[in-house]
Amino acid sequence: MSTKKLCIVGGILLSFPRHRLSSGGLMVTPSPTTAMHYMSIKCVDVRKNHHKTKWLMPWGPNQCEKIRDLDEAMSRQIEANDIVFAVHIPLPKKEMSPWFQFILVILQLDIAFKKNNEIITLDVSLAYRDDMFGEWKEMAHAIETRKLKCSFASPKTIEHEGRHYDCDALTFMEIGTVAHKFYLLNIRLPVNERKQINVGIGEIKDVRLVSIHQNGGFTKVWFAMKTFLTPSIFIIMVWYWRRITMMTRAPVLLEKVIFALGISMTFINIPVEWFSIGFDWTWMLLFGDIRQGLFYAMLLSFWIIFCGEHMMDQNERNRLSGYWKQVGPIAVGAFCLFIFDMCERGVQLKNPFYSIWTTDVGTELAMAFIIVAGICLCLYFLFLCFMVFQVFRNISGKQSSLPAMSQVRRLHYEGLIFRFKFLMLITLACAAMTIIFFIVSQVTEGHWKWGDFTVQGNSAFFTGIYGMWNLYVFGLMFLYAPSHKNYGEDQSNGDLGVSSGEELQLTTTITHVDGPTEVYKLARKEAQE
Amino acid sequence: YLAKLSSVGSISEEETCEKLKGLIQRQVQMCKRNLEVMDSVRRGAQLAIEECQYQFRNRRWNCSTLDTLPVFGKVVTQGTREAAFVYAISSAGVAFAVTRACSSGELEKCGCDGTVHGVSPQGFQWSGCSDNIAYGVAFSQSFVDVRERSKGASSSRALMNLHNNEAGRKAILNNMRVECKCHGVSGSCEVKTCWKAMPPFRKVGNMLKEKFDGATEVEQRKIGSTKVLVPKNSQFKPHTDEDLVYLDSSPDFCDHDLKNGVLGTSGRQCNKTSKAIDGCELMCCGRGFHTDEVEVVERCSCKFHWCCFVKCKQCHRVVEMHTCR
Repeated sequence: MSTKKLCIVGGILLSFPRHRLSSGGLMVTPSPTTAMHYMSIKCVDVRKNHHKTKWLMPWGPNQCEKIRDLDEAMSRQIEANDIVFAVHIPLPKKEMSPWFQFILVILQLDIAFKKNNEIITLDVSLAYRDDMFGEWKEMAHAIETRKLKCSFASPKTIEHEGRHYDCDALTFMEIGTVAHKFYLLNIRLPVNERKQINVGIGEIKDVRLVSIHQNGGFTKVWFAMKTFLTPSIFIIMVWYWRRITMMTRAPVLLEKVIFALGISMTFINIPVEWFSIGFDWTWMLLFGDIRQGLFYAMLLSFWIIFCGEHMMDQNERNRLSGYWKQVGPIAVGAFCLFIFDMCERGVQLKNPFYSIWTTDVGTELAMAFIIVAGICLCLYFLFLCFMVFQVFRNISGKQSSLPAMSQVRRLHYEGLIFRFKFLMLITLACAAMTIIFFIVSQVTEGHWKWGDFTVQGNSAFFTGIYGMWNLYVFGLMFLYAPSHKNYGEDQSNGDLGVSSGEELQLTTTITHVDGPTEVYKLARKEAQE
Repeated sequence: YLAKLSSVGSISEEETCEKLKGLIQRQVQMCKRNLEVMDSVRRGAQLAIEECQYQFRNRRWNCSTLDTLPVFGKVVTQGTREAAFVYAISSAGVAFAVTRACSSGELEKCGCDGTVHGVSPQGFQWSGCSDNIAYGVAFSQSFVDVRERSKGASSSRALMNLHNNEAGRKAILNNMRVECKCHGVSGSCEVKTCWKAMPPFRKVGNMLKEKFDGATEVEQRKIGSTKVLVPKNSQFKPHTDEDLVYLDSSPDFCDHDLKNGVLGTSGRQCNKTSKAIDGCELMCCGRGFHTDEVEVVERCSCKFHWCCFVKCKQCHRVVEMHTCR
């Protein structure tokens, strides 16, 4: 790899993330998600038996018999069991589209009086149709329970009479594809004195819903980005693997890990989401989670192994089993989160209203998984910090004894040190960028005004960070690929001294980016010795 | 008085717009153009009256409505504090009710009305819609404010009303609750969506009542070529957009004065122990009060369902009731 080439590539790589970050934001990309409010319409189910579901429309043609508020129901002697809260998603004159990727619905209750925290039982059904005048088709039906957590912010005096309780929003529904244009929700709150169902929930004034979906514009930009990134990472991956197979020796562990990182990046990049536009694949959300999880696990393992391989002590590692202590927690943590996700989103494939958090056992189970995963993560970071510390200690130890070493050994160690510090630097930079942007996007409301046009900070954040980590993996494979120059050369010790001396001069005088490749060469020579 | 009467009137349908008393010509035109919205306007006005009566239940002026044309009597047609509150709460009520109607799908024009994100269906698909509150506030602006604007916005009354209308809407906008939901990988906060929810109308009423208590007396002054309202007492700090302003001081509302639409406080209940305005001393304007022992029947230890079913015991209680002479 010539210096010139490296300089150019390095320059391009460095200028890329900034470019992508700004272009991602400054383009017309809208914010990632939209939340829409719905006020449910209180319909009266006039038929006496509720066994066969008939769909009640809140507005439009064939709308149901409405009541304005529940006092009216009282005076008309309508029973609680005959009241259906109907919500049509979306609002009139709008259509849902597959570009929305998912719909998440949140339920909020306005409650006037209440005894204590109670369980509310909801009889919910979801239907869809694709044209405004078609028949509703049932999509899901379930009887769900939710725990009401309400508080009365101000003391119960006459002053505050008529104020509603502040109730926590309840997660209500999640569907992983938006394959249909219109959705209809019918919610009943059955009362059964004998079974103590919905007896103590207080007086409900209104049922409000908030639906969240991904913006079509954001989806398109995101897909475009993935479609563009996939071949670039894939090509560099193929190139990298070719370099490795060209060598006479078997690939070392670090090389394999980098390659695996490349594979998981490609896996996450492959825009299978395109299929969600045409097919009703509800598992896409779950699949996306799994892909992300795999990548995170791979990245964390890579850092550990990279540190381990630069330990510069005499231990022979180069095997995955040597890292079981560090990689173990990652595997356990990732597995826990996987199980948790399967329990939540996996079950939601069958029942979109399901949530693991609604029951006590479920909550405990979910908390257990998350806590175990959290402990594993902490453990991992302790190991990582410890290893980095060890490496730095070894580095300072080696640096003091460097001048006394033979040239070959010195070059080897200098190379290792440089290589390690280089990766340390870019990793820290990437992580810092991620954290800073994350915090900024959480603190600000997600958009900044620059003169006339608003920048959607959140979209810029997502596209920018995603692009940055792609670049990170790209850079890793590109820079840490073994050099092909000395491929197959059988060098004597004398030769080596001269040639590497020259090369080292090159690496120190020119760009830093050159370092790793050179160093790798040296390391290999050392191995050949 | 303005949209109020349309409220007390019947549901707006077809050509009833013209029959509604209390609307000016421009409002009648708007009514015809936005028939579907008028029902919410009516409800908004009702909401405003209810809230006004709730907030002022303990004061000499208790927001009582009359059957004659200015529903609140002359008090509100003068530039008093009370007028300021009534204007603010009714413009807020209209904005509130229209926004609610938007969310329940009763109105078709809300949100994606093309002013915010370009053409409707594509705009919605690309970047969603603007909040319904934006539409509610905009409608309130155009419908309620048109009364003052058509009079020519130079008179001090018009300026005052416009200011107070805006203050009412600000009371909603500045009290929007931000609620968030995390929905990233495994429900983590990697992806978070936030939205703004309207405060309960009671809270808006409370805010405006606070503003009423701290309202600024202003006068009109000419600065450059425009006329503006500035505090009468130059030592007070200038009022903000959210503050209520008034021009004339209020009467004491003590005596019955039908000509001005003041009902007076005789016959009102008062609180013997209180030293505040609901106390008998102040409420009865020093005329003294009767004390009667009354047996009240209250509902107690109720058993109820979330809707439509209440079974209570009746509790009898003897209370002292004080009424102004």
